[in-house]
Amino acid sequence: VSIEIELAPKIKEGRALAVLVPLLLLNLTLLSVQVRDPAGTLLFRKWVLLAEAPIFNAASSASKTTLNLWRDYIWLHGAREENRRLQESLRQLAGQATELKQLQQENLRLRSLVTLGETIPYTTTGAHVVGRTPNYMANVLYVDRGSADGVGLDAPVLSGSGVIGRVVLVWRHNAQVQLITNPDASIGVLLDRTRTPGVLKGTGDPSLDLGYISSSEQVEVGDVVMSSGLDGIFPKGLMVGKVVESRKGSSIFRIIRVEPFADLMHIEEVSILRRETIRPPSSEDSFELKPKGSGNNDGSQ
Amino acid sequence: MKYLFLAISSFLAIIAQMIAGSNFFLFNFLDLSLILIAYWAVYRSRIQALFVGSITGLLLDAVLGWPLGYNGFGKTLAAFVIGLVARRFNISEVWMRFALIVSASCLSSLSIYVLFGLMQRSYSNIFLGASLMQALITGAAGTILFAALDSYISAQAHKANQP
Repeated sequence: VSIEIELAPKIKEGRALAVLVPLLLLNLTLLSVQVRDPAGTLLFRKWVLLAEAPIFNAASSASKTTLNLWRDYIWLHGAREENRRLQESLRQLAGQATELKQLQQENLRLRSLVTLGETIPYTTTGAHVVGRTPNYMANVLYVDRGSADGVGLDAPVLSGSGVIGRVVLVWRHNAQVQLITNPDASIGVLLDRTRTPGVLKGTGDPSLDLGYISSSEQVEVGDVVMSSGLDGIFPKGLMVGKVVESRKGSSIFRIIRVEPFADLMHIEEVSILRRETIRPPSSEDSFELKPKGSGNNDGSQ
Repeated sequence: MKYLFLAISSFLAIIAQMIAGSNFFLFNFLDLSLILIAYWAVYRSRIQALFVGSITGLLLDAVLGWPLGYNGFGKTLAAFVIGLVARRFNISEVWMRFALIVSASCLSSLSIYVLFGLMQRSYSNIFLGASLMQALITGAAGTILFAALDSYISAQAHKANQP
């Protein structure tokens, strides 16, 4: 006896399309109100402006002709004034830069006098990795510590070998960690050997892009990369990775690829730095450093 | 109530996939949510399948930490295509079902890939390769699950017909 399997009832094409189109539009609208372009503008706003542009152009071109001379005169007058102010502020900034350089050199000299390691003790919270998304898709993982354990937003997350990422979502007993390989992640770093600062960006791949390093800098494969503390999230001196590729690019910056020290594919336990123990870098840091092991750390770093 | 059930089933599929993926590497490439969508489109209602696709996709975006909408768009589109093909062609053949699920999975990934470009988001170079592998594994798993489901339904029908 042959038995027919009952499949879904037949529905008119138009009805399915009438549901499909609003759903697709809903998803697109959702995306466009969340995603920003590299300049930081919401794509939704960009698209709206794009649609409005022809109307604006037509309206403005009508009044443009009559107002052009007068407006150009005002604009040029303003430009001269602005130019004068900019030159003044440039002179001031140049003076400040020289002063800053001197302070840095003084800081380096003072640092060399103080026999302390670069590592600063912080209070840490240990956490287990309880979930992860496939690396090629999202580069995020979930840990079993949350706000109840003192975990805060943007808290740096480390493994034994280096920086892993930062907390981007916190629940009471869980947190979502954005890995440094995530395309949306970036860290202020410096090269340990040359002390050259740069910005490390995730690419979605296992290795990271180190940007804003001038082509004239000598960067070699194997150079160690550590956090600079300048991003206000990761404290200075945390090990991040090492250079695996360094070559001159077509722009003024070198093309540098960095491999993280931490094995992001096989993390099981992590340490989360508590926000209250992280200070932004200041010129007085060299005098506030505490020796390893002292202080109020309940975990270890 | 019906839509609450849709949301719960989508949520459970994602949780099951995450747990399996954490323990067995290959399960990272199994798209349980797409199988759920295909089930809904083939055995239940095409319209409901569209909602399942959208809800599942949005939940998946939330879990992945992506801006909401990438998977929502892709999975809704996949649900529509599966429903459309199931209506127009005879999909009782095993190979046909396999091809349908693989194609829907590829279409879903491709739409996400296009949206990445449209939204100026960078993506991993291995995304497309991994998506193809995901499509094949999901196709195989979906075909096996549907065959088992058909056998179960046939057996139940036999029982009911026996005096």
